[in-house]
Amino acid sequence: MTRTTRTRYAAVVAVAAVALSACGGGSSSSSAGGDSSEPVQGGDLTIARAADAISMDKTTTFDNNSIYVMQQMMQPLFTVSDDGSEVQPLLATGYEVSDDQLTYTITLRDDVSFTNGDPMTAEDVKFSLDENTATGSDGWGFVNAAIDTVSVVDDQTVTVALKYPWAPLIADLSIFANGIIPADYDGQTAEQFYEAPVGTGPFVWDEWQRGQYLKLTANPDYWGDAGPYLDSVTWTVVPDANTRKLQLQGGQIDIDDTPDWSSFESLSSTPGVTATAFPSTRMDYIAFNQQVEPFSDVHVRRAIAFAIDRESMVDAVLYGNGEAANSLLSPGTPYYDESVEGPTFDLDEARAEMAQSSVPDGFSTSLLIASGDPNQASVAQIMQSQLAELGIDMEIRQLEPTANKQARLASDFDMTISAWTMDIPDPDQWTSFAVDPEGGSHSAFTYWDDQAVIDLNQQAQREIDSDARQDLYTQIQEQAGESAFLAYLYYSPYAYAMTESVQGFQVTPLGNYPLAEVYKTP
Amino acid sequence: MFDRLRFVPIRLLQSIPVVFGVTVVVFFMVHLLPGNPALVLLGQSATPERVAALNDQLGLNEPLWDQYLTFLGNLFQLDLGQSITYQRPVTELVASAVPITLSLLAYALVLSLAISIPLAALAASAPGRVRDAAVRAFTLLGQGMPQFWVGIMLILLLGVKARAFPVGGYGQTPAEHLYYLFLPALTLAIAMSPTTIRSLRASTINVLGSDYVGTARSKGAAGIPLFRQHVLRNAAIPTVSIIGVNLGYLVGGSLVIEKVFAVPGLGSLMVNAIFARDFPTIQAVALVVALFVVVVGILTDVVYTAVDPRVDLASQERA
Repeated sequence: MTRTTRTRYAAVVAVAAVALSACGGGSSSSSAGGDSSEPVQGGDLTIARAADAISMDKTTTFDNNSIYVMQQMMQPLFTVSDDGSEVQPLLATGYEVSDDQLTYTITLRDDVSFTNGDPMTAEDVKFSLDENTATGSDGWGFVNAAIDTVSVVDDQTVTVALKYPWAPLIADLSIFANGIIPADYDGQTAEQFYEAPVGTGPFVWDEWQRGQYLKLTANPDYWGDAGPYLDSVTWTVVPDANTRKLQLQGGQIDIDDTPDWSSFESLSSTPGVTATAFPSTRMDYIAFNQQVEPFSDVHVRRAIAFAIDRESMVDAVLYGNGEAANSLLSPGTPYYDESVEGPTFDLDEARAEMAQSSVPDGFSTSLLIASGDPNQASVAQIMQSQLAELGIDMEIRQLEPTANKQARLASDFDMTISAWTMDIPDPDQWTSFAVDPEGGSHSAFTYWDDQAVIDLNQQAQREIDSDARQDLYTQIQEQAGESAFLAYLYYSPYAYAMTESVQGFQVTPLGNYPLAEVYKTP
Repeated sequence: MFDRLRFVPIRLLQSIPVVFGVTVVVFFMVHLLPGNPALVLLGQSATPERVAALNDQLGLNEPLWDQYLTFLGNLFQLDLGQSITYQRPVTELVASAVPITLSLLAYALVLSLAISIPLAALAASAPGRVRDAAVRAFTLLGQGMPQFWVGIMLILLLGVKARAFPVGGYGQTPAEHLYYLFLPALTLAIAMSPTTIRSLRASTINVLGSDYVGTARSKGAAGIPLFRQHVLRNAAIPTVSIIGVNLGYLVGGSLVIEKVFAVPGLGSLMVNAIFARDFPTIQAVALVVALFVVVVGILTDVVYTAVDPRVDLASQERA
């Protein structure tokens, strides 16, 4: 789509929207949680989503549907702010860093109890952090790789001694896997404990019928100032997006987790329903396999990166609910720099890069996508026609989702579509995965290996001063953009639709949604 | 009567190699799929090293034959293994899904008979007339509509517009189950009834023209009593086999319908297990479905023998 037709299209949509709202009457706003009325006590919240949770073991579970549930029961020492930009104390009251930056002294709240009635103490904190560290690479232990020892000073104080200076430590402690549970699993085995976990959170374990529903009930003795207002929260499993949408419209559920973008508009114009796009840390990108020629040639990668019309993709795939990506980092990630200029759509620039490359007349290649994913299929089709203008003959190769992952891990692809979402409010988790070949994934499976950027990344890991860190991460974002080792596509928000009675539902850029302060109006 | 059921144990014996064959084929086919459970479990953090380590821990790096023999050995002790995804016994997962799918199928069968018998009788009572044409048009329509589409239409009309039924789910009490499963069962029944109606209509027309019906008529029998006492039982004989075969297919159809209606039965369990490469669960569900088809086949023959005293399957087995 050219710029003029796009403008015209936008004008038509705007006119249609005005017409619709004029005759529809009850069309809803698209902001949630903005209600200033007094919270209402009571009520049961039902959230429908495509898949069930799989485990409540916080240290070895990588599945978001599980993580979003366990976070309501088990809380970490620190947590991310609503906008994702900073880390705030939760079960901790604060911390101090030693001059050599190798020892963190963390003080704990003295008014926190577990839902079994026991007060939370430094012993529990040490046990919980050590438990996660011990999982190593079989779980989330790798996040704690910099931790040497955790020691109890007194009931309300622990020290964390590091093997080397490590700037992301406090962000790392805010991950769910470092959530605090009673020492020695409250006298049970780990397996027994995670069948019905106990934590300090606003909700307590109730019941799980696997494949059907998972239910938590309110913790009446919650230590926090506000909430929980709801009596219970139930997550149901409704695999089909269309069925979830109809259940919401039929009033059978309160929240539809991840409605299709294609139905987002119609949901937000349904009376009594609110559809909200929450800013995320998700960045979708094209990865070039540099082991396959001609992708080791920076000009080829840059040519493709310039040839991609990201705005069209945002319109076609996200129905306008997102932004073209300019950087390796997403706007919801700390140290994101919006002034960084990643390649943007410019066919002249793309042709100039192709002319300088090793394959000025074009070449044949393929793009690996996951079958059954309409978003990836749209991106692939748009790319196919745009690359044809550079003489690049791109075949679309579809594999079933798990087979697709297998091919990516085995570097069995030319180009592939992938995405990253942050688990920790610190860029390091992603940058170490993406730019450092030693990060375990050969630089996000691209085999990109640029010593200057690797050095910058390692410096940033050890830099405590946030201004200096910003400078380092800006340089990484600039150099990664210039090398076009990935072609960034777009930043897509998290889609949720809910009935208008749901108040205070907020999703952080990391994807989790604390439910303590959510309530339902009658 | 019992004498005529002697074929049942023989059929059961014959089904052992069938079920065994299914376990072999399913086991090796699922392992031919590219990808493994560790890839799915580790999510975006999967790296080749961590995937290899987790597969090792899950015992998936053992030779396939060893894994199969372990599976078979456990099977003889009625142990279907641990689900890789949920880390709990597969038997537990299957045991909670089987009653759901079975009740869905039974419900669908009852509804489809409730639709088919009156419509077939109506059509057969006046072959070639308007009501016959109307019933035949309905069967064509029923056959032509894809199941998932019928399901979505029923949800839209009866769930969203009329709000008479819930939009998917299963409920928590037996009464709720009946209520929640009505629409999916109706969807399956609509898919199943066209062949039943056609078969029943054809055989009813046949039976209505036979001498014994003529005799019954001459003795004053007519209307519904005539149909119930003299026609239905004889006309039902060919239809029983057709329903038996259809029930086998219906298990496949229920995979799609369970997804549309968010019914947590065997179909949902199977689909999720395939995406997650949860091998033990896939094998267990395949085994249960194979057993189901075998049992339905035998039950069909039992019903067949009961409806038609002339049929003697036991003597055929001997021949």
